[in-house]
Amino acid sequence: MKLFGLAGTQQEPQPKEIMDWKKFFIAFVAAFGFLFLFGFLWYAILMHGAHQEVPALFRTESEFKEHFLWLVLGHVVMAFFLTLLCVRFVPAGGAGPCALLGLLVALVYEGPHLITFAVQPITTKILCGWIVGSLIQFIVAGATIGAVYKSSSPATR
Amino acid sequence: MKRFIIAFIAAFIFIFLWGWFYNGVLLKDVFAEAQSLFRPREEMMTLFHWIIIGQAGLALSFVMIYASGFAGGGIASGVRLGIMLEILAVSARCAFYATQPFPAKLLVLISIGGFIEMIVTGVIVGAIYKPATAQGS
Repeated sequence: MKLFGLAGTQQEPQPKEIMDWKKFFIAFVAAFGFLFLFGFLWYAILMHGAHQEVPALFRTESEFKEHFLWLVLGHVVMAFFLTLLCVRFVPAGGAGPCALLGLLVALVYEGPHLITFAVQPITTKILCGWIVGSLIQFIVAGATIGAVYKSSSPATR
Repeated sequence: MKRFIIAFIAAFIFIFLWGWFYNGVLLKDVFAEAQSLFRPREEMMTLFHWIIIGQAGLALSFVMIYASGFAGGGIASGVRLGIMLEILAVSARCAFYATQPFPAKLLVLISIGGFIEMIVTGVIVGAIYKPATAQGS
């Protein structure tokens, strides 16, 4: 079964044979740059007002600065493993298929967001913002990775 | 399609039961230490359907990704997919830790439970779902 026309790998690929590490690294850096900048723009700027409605749930400015490295580390790991998943899942690359994978990964995140809404006193506005934000974030990040990685894929040579 | 639906139902049942046992029973006291970050129990129960929908969505997304690109490798591929998705979830938790005053111990324990959840989900989905060519052989 291939959903959404994704050209999945029904047979086990050999990562050592198909992976171009230079392109992988560039795709990872591009994904990290986008994820971090979009995250800052969406969650810190656009959603700032919504987050301020429940200040008890969030760290203060000074506390946040003390924990800032965790934010960077989280985005580095996220970008690395999203890139790895794209390369593993769509070895031929391409913005479209990787954007679809990004959509599926985003859907994995939406479940926990709904659970968070049930257990934490976040507002509906915050829930909707997180859902829309993660959809955009992962779809565009997936497309970016696919576009960068595509050109050197063995399937396109 | 039949195996897809069975895999989804099996994954959902496991995620639901594991979520209840791990978060609701084993980590009950740890969650209580950060009570100010959570809804009161009565309020939580009125929103319980969102937990069900969220867990069903998680199970469905997992099976969709597996069926789209990992199905050829069986259980090993399911486990690999589960580990990758959980690492992505841990990375998101790092971002949450930076912005929300969760105790580190709670997030570490949730992540350990998350790895168990996603690995077992991968085993279940990998064991049940087979691509069309593999089913025919």
